[in-house]
Amino acid sequence: MMQEFDAIVVGSGITGGWSAKELTQAGLKVLMIERGRDIEHGTGYKTETLAPWELPFRGMGDAERYWAEYPVQSMNRHFTEFTEHHFVNDRENPYAVPAGKDFNWWRSYQMGGRSLTWGRQCYRWSDYDFGANKADGHGLDWPIRYADLAPWYDRVEDFIGVSGAAEGLAVLPDGRFQPPMALNAVEQHCRDVFMNTFPDRRLTVGRTANLTEAKEGRSKCQYRSICARGCSYGAYFSTQSSTLPAAKATGNLTVITDSVVEGVDHDPVTGRATGVRYLDVKTGKRGTATARLVFLNAGTFNSNHILLRSTSERFPNGLANSSGVLGTHIMDHATTLSGIAAMPGFETHTSYGNRPTGIVVPRFRNLDQQDGAGFTRGYSFQGGALQSTWTAGKRAAGLGVDYKESLRHPGPWRMIFVTFAESLPRASNRLTLDRVKTDPHGAPVLNIAFEHGANEHAALADAKGQAKVMLEAAGGHVFLGFDQPGAGGSAIHEMGGARMGNDPARSVLDKWNRAHDVPNLFVTDGAAMSSSACQNPSLTYMALTARACANAVSMLREGTI
Amino acid sequence: MADNGLGEFDRRSAIGGGLVLAALVGTPLWIWGKARQGEKGEATEDQRRMIDTVSDLVIPRTDTPGASDVGVGDFVVLALNHGLDGTREPASGAAIQGGGPAPTPRGGLYLLDDLAIMLRIKAGGDFNQATPAAQRAALTAIDTRAFAPGNDKDPWHKIKDLILTGYYTSEAGGSKELQYELVPGRWDPDVPLKPSDRAFSSDWTAVEFG
Repeated sequence: MMQEFDAIVVGSGITGGWSAKELTQAGLKVLMIERGRDIEHGTGYKTETLAPWELPFRGMGDAERYWAEYPVQSMNRHFTEFTEHHFVNDRENPYAVPAGKDFNWWRSYQMGGRSLTWGRQCYRWSDYDFGANKADGHGLDWPIRYADLAPWYDRVEDFIGVSGAAEGLAVLPDGRFQPPMALNAVEQHCRDVFMNTFPDRRLTVGRTANLTEAKEGRSKCQYRSICARGCSYGAYFSTQSSTLPAAKATGNLTVITDSVVEGVDHDPVTGRATGVRYLDVKTGKRGTATARLVFLNAGTFNSNHILLRSTSERFPNGLANSSGVLGTHIMDHATTLSGIAAMPGFETHTSYGNRPTGIVVPRFRNLDQQDGAGFTRGYSFQGGALQSTWTAGKRAAGLGVDYKESLRHPGPWRMIFVTFAESLPRASNRLTLDRVKTDPHGAPVLNIAFEHGANEHAALADAKGQAKVMLEAAGGHVFLGFDQPGAGGSAIHEMGGARMGNDPARSVLDKWNRAHDVPNLFVTDGAAMSSSACQNPSLTYMALTARACANAVSMLREGTI
Repeated sequence: MADNGLGEFDRRSAIGGGLVLAALVGTPLWIWGKARQGEKGEATEDQRRMIDTVSDLVIPRTDTPGASDVGVGDFVVLALNHGLDGTREPASGAAIQGGGPAPTPRGGLYLLDDLAIMLRIKAGGDFNQATPAAQRAALTAIDTRAFAPGNDKDPWHKIKDLILTGYYTSEAGGSKELQYELVPGRWDPDVPLKPSDRAFSSDWTAVEFG
């Protein structure tokens, strides 16, 4: 059989762009299929330069319409009148949850996917993370360790551009960083205090895929911090700013947008994937494409969805699912606002510009000694120090000239700690095809059964306490803090379902992100994750993708695929 | 995809000091509003006058425009009609998973009815006909009571929030009263703050979390 392409890449988000770049640069003819519309870099960012007064609802958006069309997406703090077009319409893109459970599935169906709207935080995992499942018995041991991924982290960071400070911490390995963005006065003070008072806790500036030095046709950050509108400077990593132009420059890339992949075709005789079936959502016409390799980069849950829908006599419960674990052990970091403190003593300090990243305090619990009360693994703090502004007037009595004057100037400093706690892999947290509900195209929707467990709750309880202790040590007055996680999905770090592992009977993917059951099928987005760590995961997805692509190309050339 | 370093959580739930799930004498506002569904979604002339006066009492004209100069009253009516800032029904989209119920026809305009009643009581008569001093005294009384401990759910909070939003997101409020810089171009992490320095309405983090 003559294939039309060397490889099909399903999805154009953070990992889809990387697959397309790596495979096309290796000389493969690649088809990238994106379910959403095209968005051109620069000219496609319609709201990028608008001021609040140029929008009908001043940036807040039409709550009435959001209620009807975006009831889930609009709960995301990145969803505003400036960015609403970068999120899915919930009415048109339904999903299901079991009674009594909840999941916020925040999605971006468009060229670039969530690379346009992501938080850009880039943290390497360490062997505390890759070794965690083996160490405490939750989940299945990872088939790789840090040394396997380190050179691929290098490659990814070099290409996308990550600014950050090297700290020499074993728990959060340093990367190949552009110069860091500086801490503001309050954050620097907190860092100094923590260094003295909590030697195991290091506050450092968030490592972020925002450039502090120009590179390859991309400008450095302009300190607007309006990234999710799209950045015509190309100053943060997105598919549009970075991987897509690189892939296009090879001449080896074909792109189809507005086309939902409905299934991966499988030849039971050869045992190989032959290509994909897709629906053109604009015309309603169905098509197929064939290739020697298939890469699923549809986003964690949608890559699971595609596999679950790709049933056949050989794979009645979903493609590559002879193990029966497909869709299980999904994760999302348990996150909450652990503490806000007023930070007196900095009344004569301010800053200029909008730094597009906060701070991070890497995990300090359960490393070389088990010091977490009632929980295994750990959590990290993110957040930052900021000055209040006119919105503080909502909490203040007053009217008239004096009140107006009081809101005219930068207000008191406050420091915020938000926790991301590791989510344990559990079989009961799983994706299935819903038996009743269908989407507008007639396909069974994804049923998302997820809840945080006692471990996550214990971690957040500890985090609240430690946030208070640390902020107070730095002179802060904590006035608010929570210890209950938001609904699943609230971290937008959904992971798992097609986990990697050495044992084909207990995992979907091998150590190369390749399906144990289907030798030319790769899944390199978050679906591959066997555990969640507590770091923002996208950098690891990209490194896994680059590594998998290189290996796939090698195997293709050696004739072993 | 995480965050800009400030974390993922519902911005409406965390910081407002309990203003979020507004309720009137223990009754959630949206239930209160449902009792008046079917009324036309427009403010009356009297209500328009009232909100203009009230918004100017909150943000008067000084060396920069005041609230009514920049049409804050129109914004408040628009915002209430469309249920902004949780003035219609509580957000519970997660339970819906993609299909919300029909919107209430009149949005949050019932809050203007409530304000009119409170102002009438405090002014001892028609607020719009009262002297400026009496108007100020009436609104001051309402404002003072709303910010007393335990009154987080007083309906005045929502109106005041929308007045502030309407003003500081207007061109004059955002770029004359405050400063607006879309492209700072640089990050200075620590600069001296003088008492006369005006805040930046384009400091999005401050607006969201401050």
